[in-house]
Amino acid sequence: MFSTILEQIVNGIVTGSVYAIVAVGMTMIFGVLRAINFAHGEYYMLGTFGAWFSIDYLGLSYEASIVVGVLSTIVVAYVVGKLVMQRMVGAPAESGVLATLGIALVLQNTVILVFGGGYKFFSGGYIEPVSILGFSLAQQRILILVVCLLVFVGLELMVTYSRMGKSMRAVSQNVDCCEVVGIDVPQVVLRTFILGAALAALSGVLTAPVNVSVYGGMGELITFKTLPIIIMGGLGNVRGTFFAAMILGIAESLVATYVGLQFRDTVGFATLILMLMWRPHGLFSTQARF
Amino acid sequence: MSLTETAQQIRRRDLRIPLGAVLLVIALAAPFIGSRYVTHSLIIALIFMLPAHGLNLLVGYTGLLSLAQAAFFGIGAYTAGLLAVTYGTPFYVNLLAAGLVAGAIALPLGIPALRLRSTSFVMCTLGFVIIGQAIAKNWISVTRGDMGLSSIPKPHFALGPLSFTVSGTMGFYYLALAIGVLATLAVWAIVRSPAGRNMIAIRENETLAESVGIPTWRYKLIVFMISAVFAGVGGSVYAHYLTVVSPLTFQMYYSTTMLIIVLGGGAGTISGVVFGSLLFVGLTEALRITPELRMIAYGLCLLALVFWFRKGFSPLINRFWDTVGGAK
Repeated sequence: MFSTILEQIVNGIVTGSVYAIVAVGMTMIFGVLRAINFAHGEYYMLGTFGAWFSIDYLGLSYEASIVVGVLSTIVVAYVVGKLVMQRMVGAPAESGVLATLGIALVLQNTVILVFGGGYKFFSGGYIEPVSILGFSLAQQRILILVVCLLVFVGLELMVTYSRMGKSMRAVSQNVDCCEVVGIDVPQVVLRTFILGAALAALSGVLTAPVNVSVYGGMGELITFKTLPIIIMGGLGNVRGTFFAAMILGIAESLVATYVGLQFRDTVGFATLILMLMWRPHGLFSTQARF
Repeated sequence: MSLTETAQQIRRRDLRIPLGAVLLVIALAAPFIGSRYVTHSLIIALIFMLPAHGLNLLVGYTGLLSLAQAAFFGIGAYTAGLLAVTYGTPFYVNLLAAGLVAGAIALPLGIPALRLRSTSFVMCTLGFVIIGQAIAKNWISVTRGDMGLSSIPKPHFALGPLSFTVSGTMGFYYLALAIGVLATLAVWAIVRSPAGRNMIAIRENETLAESVGIPTWRYKLIVFMISAVFAGVGGSVYAHYLTVVSPLTFQMYYSTTMLIIVLGGGAGTISGVVFGSLLFVGLTEALRITPELRMIAYGLCLLALVFWFRKGFSPLINRFWDTVGGAK
């Protein structure tokens, strides 16, 4: 009994890590643009498709496919960033919602049009189980945990110390002042956006061996799950996002076991609505920033 | 000649009545001109026009961007389907019930949701669609889960000794047309009333509207409910037309379609919604464009609308109107 709960919690942490890597990009993009990126899950999907394509069609190894998946997403993100995201600086909130919804539609359906809407089998990854402290855990899941921790430590350092991180924080505080002191706001927006998309793609490639199936509509669900996480974490808050993602991951995995698998995907939205009602500034911020 | 020239008042020949008559004749004659498939496309366009009218009241007149329309559309479809299959109630009862149920459900959903602003409101309304789908899938004892409801009867009318069933495409077209015209007139009445002007005031500046004594909170809630009623009615017609309802009625796809009709046609105009549903739903259906291509086109349209055509494509119709009407 106890070990089942513990096992579910460990599973939840792995799922949470996946969400965390996706959500942190979205929350950073919100920080600089003040817009929710409704297309964020599509970059997760693009990364996975890039990797699947390079394994199935190009015959590359899984390690190489990670690089291909992330790089191809970066290329797409660069184009989208140049054409769309940079225009959103200072635009009203509704424009951001509509523009990113439009991007989501275009990306998702282009992939379905090119590769077909069916489920595809993802054949790469390290799926050998390893046993640690009496648990057997697939290597891939451990890899996800490790990458997640590395990403967050890296981001924390970047946001605190690097020039890019500092300018990101500056843009998220006051766009006009940034322009006065000579920070290239569109440039910061573009870089943040590409970084966020690349992280989403990385998360997608890392999760693919665990999820096994790959399909065009997979990004939508990820976007929907990212929304409650970034709200819980407090919009624009990197550290908060990490803990919020863990909370959602664990909650989902417990609900899936003890309430019913079909209710797993509703947990996020119930959380989202409750959070928006009572703590719209998130669990970890003391006051509303937005 | 004065030194300052005021903006020239454009005076048009009043062509509203003749043009309206021409449109009416075209609308009535459409099933005889086009093939059966074209008529089918027009029916779908007319059905989608209903929730789009509701959404227009919300987005175009009150300034609230909502994605919940598909949820109320689905609720309407399920209400009509369940009533028809379980109790065998006639079409008009289902239609009214679907509207009322959707409107009633909008009240408890709207009270929390409308306390949110801009992006948070969008996310919250998106949540309603996802949760609606989950309920439709998992409340199996009522909704039959993924199997959905099937063999919903075609509309049947009985007036004393007279009774007839609307079964063919052509018959259904006239039914949908009648409902569509009534709905358009209803929206027109709402928009033209003082309430409509108050809604526009809320859209333009909510704080100012509140300060001049408009009960903004009550207005927003009532408009949210009215938009749900329109969606519910649309859902019931959809259920009776397709004769099946599945959890897939609760889909982002539908919300996006309704949004693109309103924004593409021109939010805050009634003719825009009519035009938008014909263009975005009727035309794409008639051309048999695959769903993927259609969604790509919608996505590109959304981007174009956000960055270039902020007022939708309806200024193009207005220009046409000016040309035809002969601006002096």
